[in-house]
Amino acid sequence: MEHILSWLIFLPLIGAVLVLAAPAQMARSITWVFTFGVFLLSCALFGPFLDGRAWDGGYGTMQFEYAIPWIDVGGFHIRYHVGLDGLSFPLIILTTLITWLAAWASWNFEHWNVNRGPKGYFALFLLLETGVLGTFAALDFFLFYIFWEVMLLPMYFLIGVWGGPRKEYAAIKFFIYTLAGSVLMLVALLAMYYTSADAVAGPGTFGLIEYVTNPAIHEMFNSETTTFLSWKFGPAMFVMLFIAFMIKVPVFPFHTWLPDAHVEAPTPISMILAGILLKLGAYGFFRVCYPIFPEAASQLAFYVALLGVINIIYGAFCCLAQTDFKRLVAYSSISHMGYVVLGAAIMTTTGFQGAMFQVLAHGISSPMCFFLVGVIYDRAHHRDLNRFGGLWLEMPRYGSLATLGFFASLGLPGLCGFIGEIWVLLGTWSAPFTWAKPMAVISAFGVVLTAAYILWMIQRVYLGKRKEEYAGFPDADARETAILIPMALLAIFMGILPKYTFDLMNGTIDRVYEIMEPFTQVAFGG
Amino acid sequence: MEYTTALALGVLIPLISFTLLAFTGHKLGKPRSSYVALLAIGISCALSTYVLLGWLGKTPDEREALAAQAVANQFHWADFGNLAIKVGVKLDSLTVIMYFMVTFIAFWIHFFSIGYMEGHSDEVDGVSKYHRFFTYLSLFCFSMLGLVISSSLLFLFIFWELVGLCSYLLIGFYFDRKYASDAGMKAFITNRVGDFGFIIGLAMVVLFLGTFDLDEAARAFAHQFNTGTGIFEASVNLFGWHVSGGTLATLMGIGLFCGAIGKSAQFPLHVWLPDAMAGPTPVSALIHAATMVAAGVYLVARVFRLLTPEAQFFIACIGCITLTITALIAIVQTDIKKVLAYSTLSQLGYMIFGMGVGAWVAALFHLMTHAFFKAMLFLGSGQVIEGCHHEQDIRKMGGLRKKMPVTCWTFFIGVLAIAGFGIPGMHLGLGGYFSKDEILAVAYERAFNLPALKETDAAADDAGEHAHAIGRRRITSDRSKPASNIALASGVEAAHAPADAHHGDHRTGTLEKVGIAARLPALPPIMFWLPIIIAYVTPFYMMRCWWLTFCGKPRDHHVHDHAHESWKMFLPLAVLAIGTFYCSFATFRPLIHDAAAAATNSPAIVAIDGEAHNLEEAGAGAMLMLNHAPGKNPHDWLAYGVGFAWLIGMGFAAALYRNGLAAAERLRRRFALIHTALDQKLYFDHLYDGVLVAGTRTLGVVCYWFDKIFIDGTVNGVAMLTRWIGSFSGRQLDMPVQRGDWGLVDAVANGMAATVLDIGSQIRRPQSGRIRTYVCITAGAAAVALLAVLYFDQLAAGIDWLVTRTSTLAQG
Repeated sequence: MEHILSWLIFLPLIGAVLVLAAPAQMARSITWVFTFGVFLLSCALFGPFLDGRAWDGGYGTMQFEYAIPWIDVGGFHIRYHVGLDGLSFPLIILTTLITWLAAWASWNFEHWNVNRGPKGYFALFLLLETGVLGTFAALDFFLFYIFWEVMLLPMYFLIGVWGGPRKEYAAIKFFIYTLAGSVLMLVALLAMYYTSADAVAGPGTFGLIEYVTNPAIHEMFNSETTTFLSWKFGPAMFVMLFIAFMIKVPVFPFHTWLPDAHVEAPTPISMILAGILLKLGAYGFFRVCYPIFPEAASQLAFYVALLGVINIIYGAFCCLAQTDFKRLVAYSSISHMGYVVLGAAIMTTTGFQGAMFQVLAHGISSPMCFFLVGVIYDRAHHRDLNRFGGLWLEMPRYGSLATLGFFASLGLPGLCGFIGEIWVLLGTWSAPFTWAKPMAVISAFGVVLTAAYILWMIQRVYLGKRKEEYAGFPDADARETAILIPMALLAIFMGILPKYTFDLMNGTIDRVYEIMEPFTQVAFGG
Repeated sequence: MEYTTALALGVLIPLISFTLLAFTGHKLGKPRSSYVALLAIGISCALSTYVLLGWLGKTPDEREALAAQAVANQFHWADFGNLAIKVGVKLDSLTVIMYFMVTFIAFWIHFFSIGYMEGHSDEVDGVSKYHRFFTYLSLFCFSMLGLVISSSLLFLFIFWELVGLCSYLLIGFYFDRKYASDAGMKAFITNRVGDFGFIIGLAMVVLFLGTFDLDEAARAFAHQFNTGTGIFEASVNLFGWHVSGGTLATLMGIGLFCGAIGKSAQFPLHVWLPDAMAGPTPVSALIHAATMVAAGVYLVARVFRLLTPEAQFFIACIGCITLTITALIAIVQTDIKKVLAYSTLSQLGYMIFGMGVGAWVAALFHLMTHAFFKAMLFLGSGQVIEGCHHEQDIRKMGGLRKKMPVTCWTFFIGVLAIAGFGIPGMHLGLGGYFSKDEILAVAYERAFNLPALKETDAAADDAGEHAHAIGRRRITSDRSKPASNIALASGVEAAHAPADAHHGDHRTGTLEKVGIAARLPALPPIMFWLPIIIAYVTPFYMMRCWWLTFCGKPRDHHVHDHAHESWKMFLPLAVLAIGTFYCSFATFRPLIHDAAAAATNSPAIVAIDGEAHNLEEAGAGAMLMLNHAPGKNPHDWLAYGVGFAWLIGMGFAAALYRNGLAAAERLRRRFALIHTALDQKLYFDHLYDGVLVAGTRTLGVVCYWFDKIFIDGTVNGVAMLTRWIGSFSGRQLDMPVQRGDWGLVDAVANGMAATVLDIGSQIRRPQSGRIRTYVCITAGAAAVALLAVLYFDQLAAGIDWLVTRTSTLAQG
């Protein structure tokens, strides 16, 4: 039992090896089975999060925790330490689910690229899942970093090899951006290790939890007098880590890799990219930036919130100018992830709840939207919004599911997108920062823009008269429907009964808030 | 069955129907899918009747106990921070009667639709959308009923958006037509602009009142008002504008009201409703006349206790502007549905105006009566349109009276009702007569009596006695409220105080009125005169519409020859006509009246309403009459002054159009400028399209260009620089660069692409050829990672070395 989480993480890797060993035509079946198996296995972890056992201790109380020393050289202690709490567990479930659906979405692999065999694709696909799961589960910063890098490479190849016409450009852009972030993370990671060594006057630690729970380390990290080079330690680390993560989210102005990557990536990869990889950045905020550096976070809250608001509004405006269907959905991701940043920035329970919920909601709705785009791209072989029209008449089942998916993305009440948005908006208004209320007002205007670009897109693609060139397009087939249905159901379930989603994470969010509270109170006074 | 259960069940059954139809509707086809929806709303209607009848038999105390029980039965939906959000049924007389009205009208409109949609759903390339119509209708019924019973503002907002969705789907029902999908989009986005304000208002409620629950919020608001705490001592800096205290409270009210501006299509967001007529006619009747658009009024009624006098004044202004301009535009409309749409707007303006001046009961009463006669009018217009082969231009109709007599006369009843038909002195009339008159009466008091009252207020400024007097009367009527609220009661109690008290303790009544008057801004007289004038305009344009359609000589023989009535659709018309009579007299008003006490109970609000309508209630049987001492009340001259407005307005219309369009045409040429302005809907659409929509889209393009040129340009520029530096030692690659879409960026992009290829080729070199190589490398990397887990000391040493180097750098 104690290895169950490690099994979960490395099971896809075993799958990858198997894919390589087995005949090419079996690759997709093996991937399907493995991703589904991993999904089932992850569902087996629900127990402690449902019955409340997970919330008994303070911050850092982990479930399915496993730790062994890994590298122990020259006073340098790196551990293999994994575990789950309310921040990471929902994301693990999201990852296994979306990866499984994406594997299913890759079923028609041979249709979209005949030049390359399926083995490499599916092996990299499974390797990617290991990287993601490992990143979410890692509690040792060095391990976190390694998984972060493990995830980067498969993604690079999946876009760069199996992508669209400008795949090299997109892949390199993605790679260099993320790598730039990784470098910052690496520097921060080492600085934190040595500072933690100073704090305890003994061997340092990479423990993401120890950084928070060890009073000496936590105090030193947030002290005014601790420095890194000539900067104050806390803000310097916070900024470096924040940049590393915000590239992934992505946050303005480091967002331009995302539309390119999405447009070029094959559909299943877009699903994973939007549904999971962006969430790694957000998870980084919650796991690393905020609990470890609450002092710096409260000092810099204004700038973080400002970036969030820019993301929301700027992303939405960019959506209005799009003619490429996939690029529009990509920009809408940027806009929606702005709520996550804003929710984190205000450092209240409500804000964190809203941000986490938005992470999960977007993790459901954006893969759905990308898959919906993919379905139509498979048939029409173009994504020009102005050339579409009348598809709801042509493909009624697909049209209905598309309406649902895009309305979930729009933030319609009763669907998942609404809860995160409204929590963040109301929470921002309630946050005791003096600048919070104007920000809430500006970002609330995002709801109008979101409605505008989504409805306009729906009109251009699904409504209107039937067009000759799309006559006889088959409706969504059984496989496509089967992929869309789980996401549709989850979108409805999370929208109608958000309590059950909140219950999976509120326990931990409360603990995180307890850590941040003393620091934010100071900021609120000013 | 408990009432809350019955009501909740009535909400859920249409949802079940929706789910069923969504999945099996296309298989059920025509007409079976409509039966499912009809059955569902039928059950809801039966349940609501059960609740209504039961509720009527309850004493006030029993009702209060049931309401308290409903509060106790709320369930925990989610946590907002540390605030538990409860969901439950708001059980009071208003809920019961509103719920009944919605289910009743919805049922008959479903019934009508079965016949109507047969000819109106198969127009799209042979694909039947018949089942879709009923699927959406069921979803609408669910959402609308949910909105009515919500006890929490958050849930009100949720259902609020859902009815907006249904409206969007149904307006754009014929979505193959561009104008229909445009209209749906316009409706949804315009509503979202209003919801933007609603969200801000909601945020203020949550922050300052600390709850989503309507009742709790009202209590908190009353408490804060009295103690000057909470929102009344808070200060907010909004973009450099420091808002504090009462202004903040007013802003909260206005924010919430913004939602109503959108949904009830008030100025300046009224532009979507006329376009919404692109939807099928039953939809116009149900959603865009009777129920959904009235939800805005319902919202204001529900949050009435959170409104400051200033916020109410704002609401009254908006209502007044809306009712005036839309009535004027209605005069020149030639599309039968557009006339009705603008008349709906104008009547909604009356309701909102009524709410604003404090005529809570009258405004809701007007909502109810309007729902019946306007639904009937729309269904009648549906008959006409159906009969005339989709001709909607009243200039081409005429003389249809003989061809469609039932439609003609039910339509005429509707015209009479909206015109305010009644006979002053005889105490007889249709719904519009009583409800509109009542609103005007309250407006009169606010405009003319208040200043006088204010003058005497100083003399009567004995706060202790005032509070004592009110407190005494509150205790008898409202025991459930906390003691702290007792002394703060407003004059509303005049509305529900026992009749003998009303006649008896006259002095107390005066005192109350004076005390409240001091807090009220007086209404400018123009806000009394405009609604009065429009009361004359309404009968004119409605009669014009009826006359042009049904009377005179046929103007287009093609249309006239085809005209026929469909007997299938009679029943709903007849039932709604009876409803129009019935709701004018019985059940509705007393129940609204009953709800008023609790629903308007806030110290910050106005309560002249109570004074005004109590006078009219003689309780003779089920009849409502204007019954007060002659010469003492504005109602007298008001009743005579406005009482014959219907006759004058309708008479003028009949006179003008008795010989067809010629006389009107002369008039049109005479006032060409005004006519053009009205015909162009006062240029609101031009303004919004030209400035707001175009501006937003331009901003979108600008943002995207910024993205491509500035941000990506910087990125690519840096990359180019790197490559340029690198090229001193490297070789030039030939670059098969795709032609970019963005001329200016091309140069930069090419540079970047070169770099990309450069780096790409470096990376790809070991992987030339087959994909297997990629995978081997990756698998190798993974193997390294795995080996590393197994104490890979050499790697560790390497890392150690790296770390030491870095840390010296970091520490030095």
